[in-house]
Amino acid sequence: MAEGRYVYCVAADSKAARLGNIGIEDNQVYAIPYQDITAVVHACAPTPYESQDKEVVDKWVVAHERVIETVQEELGAVLPLGFDTIIQGNDQGNVEQKVRDWLKEHYEKLKDTLDRVKGKREYVVQVSWDTKTIAKELIGSDQELKDLHQQIKAKSKGAAYMYRQTLEKLLGAKLEQEANRRFHDFYDKIGSCVDEMKVEKLKKEEQPRQMLMNLSCLGDPKEIHTLGGELERISNMTGFFVRFTGPWPPYSFV
Amino acid sequence: MEPVRDWKGRATLVDLLDRVFDKGVVIHLDLIISVAGIPLLGVNLRAALAGMETMLEYGMMQDMDMKTRMWEAEHRRKKEAPLLEGEEVILNTFGSYYYMKGIYNAWKSGRLYLTNLRLMLYQQDIAEIVFEAPLTNITGIAVRKESSFTGKDKDIVYLYLEGKKIARLNVLETEELRRNLERLVEEAGVTLDRALSAEGLDETTSSFLMEGEQVSCQGKMWYLMPKSGIMVETWRPGRLYLTNTRLCWWNDFDKRIVFQVPVDKISGSTVEIKNISPVLRGQEVLDLIYGCNGSKMIASFSGKSAEDWKKALNELVASQGQAPEDREKETCPQCGSRALAKELLQKGCAKCGWVSPRLQKRMAPVLKAR
Repeated sequence: MAEGRYVYCVAADSKAARLGNIGIEDNQVYAIPYQDITAVVHACAPTPYESQDKEVVDKWVVAHERVIETVQEELGAVLPLGFDTIIQGNDQGNVEQKVRDWLKEHYEKLKDTLDRVKGKREYVVQVSWDTKTIAKELIGSDQELKDLHQQIKAKSKGAAYMYRQTLEKLLGAKLEQEANRRFHDFYDKIGSCVDEMKVEKLKKEEQPRQMLMNLSCLGDPKEIHTLGGELERISNMTGFFVRFTGPWPPYSFV
Repeated sequence: MEPVRDWKGRATLVDLLDRVFDKGVVIHLDLIISVAGIPLLGVNLRAALAGMETMLEYGMMQDMDMKTRMWEAEHRRKKEAPLLEGEEVILNTFGSYYYMKGIYNAWKSGRLYLTNLRLMLYQQDIAEIVFEAPLTNITGIAVRKESSFTGKDKDIVYLYLEGKKIARLNVLETEELRRNLERLVEEAGVTLDRALSAEGLDETTSSFLMEGEQVSCQGKMWYLMPKSGIMVETWRPGRLYLTNTRLCWWNDFDKRIVFQVPVDKISGSTVEIKNISPVLRGQEVLDLIYGCNGSKMIASFSGKSAEDWKKALNELVASQGQAPEDREKETCPQCGSRALAKELLQKGCAKCGWVSPRLQKRMAPVLKAR
């Protein structure tokens, strides 16, 4: 029967080490080395892990992450793979050779990336703002909006409605401008504290909160307090919120 | 600020899920397993693993979701009726108006707004004001129960307007409308005429005659209803009307027009003595010859005045001079000139420049783009 190898990560090591039953569903995790790099795997059937049950999926994902972190702690640098990456063998059963071939084929690149992420971790930085609070501030500070807002009070009901529409439109445009300005400001500040940075897709948040930026940052855990300080300043601004999570293995930088 | 990490709780697990599902080293596709030929990567994998709800929660469908919202928001904006300065909405309900102008002859529905200035029926989808009347033009209001073709009784509101015009409306909240309308008009110092009850109307003609349409001949006539479905050909009682635009027959049973032909389609008529039933022998039958979609059709009517009808119809044909065109013509709702229905609807009226609201809406983005 054809076999599969679930691959957790690639690390810099030359030993065919056994890591014990720490894998997904307590599978025996071991390393398949090629020269001085190694793929950390467990043996499995060539069928993907699938479940509609969120808790089951979460459990698998956490197990996947634990294996990678264990390797990271022992060997210093890892290149994590996504969940459910299974290399499949053929009927001759040479699946381990296939893993080794893959390492061999991409040796240079894998080796370079390992050097690049060595000693570094990934952090998630998400900055959001409260559109209501910001809008209020804008109406107070922006002359154009201020004037329009003043005018509404003096109008009759019908006219006030028209003015409010205009105000809302203008406010939307100003908010967008402001968001742009903030994004560039934060991007520069955060960028100066980390080694590498990736802009990720924004996520939906509950109204009136809105995400302004979603970043994956690569940095040295020993230096990460500079980033912490910068984020502290952002989160102290009225109407701004910061989510800061990590350290994660460098998923976004491999 | 310290980075947080606690994937036993869900707070930061999301970030981990984002990573293990969409990121990490990618292995050459032909090496790894796939489901039904689709490599298990990123979105596909996630879709296989998690339900739709989870995907939304993790923001996967965000783009699509955003588009849906924008569409929704735009759609909702359109639903606001265009109000004048200082105009206040007092009642906003669902309603329909019997629209009889030129090419149209049907109930048009939309939102009915009663404001401090006017009564208006607004069709949101095509942004058209179907009907509007300034409050100062309303002289009377009457409500009458009428059976609709659905078989249910409906309250039909008859609105009497300046210039002896009558508007027929069907409103969700009839009483609410009547009460508010009377109050508003009385505030302006006018008392609405309720005595002008709907019974005083010529029941039939008021319900189907269009604006500017005048009856020149009318009378009781039987009509030979063509067979339809399981119904065989049958004679039915009703009234035949000749107006300046059409010949039509009102069915007494259904309380509606079931047969009509534009005057320019009529090509002639004959009268013969026929036995129309074992009981009714030797009756005068008026056979009307008219064009329909390029072919000649015959409609049969019977009644005492068949000879008079023949005379009137043949005079009509003679006055039209040459044979009427075998094409569908309709009346422009703005200027009343006759034109091909197709042209009216697709290009607008060549005489006065009228364009149907639906076409206007379709044209709007094109004009804007210029």
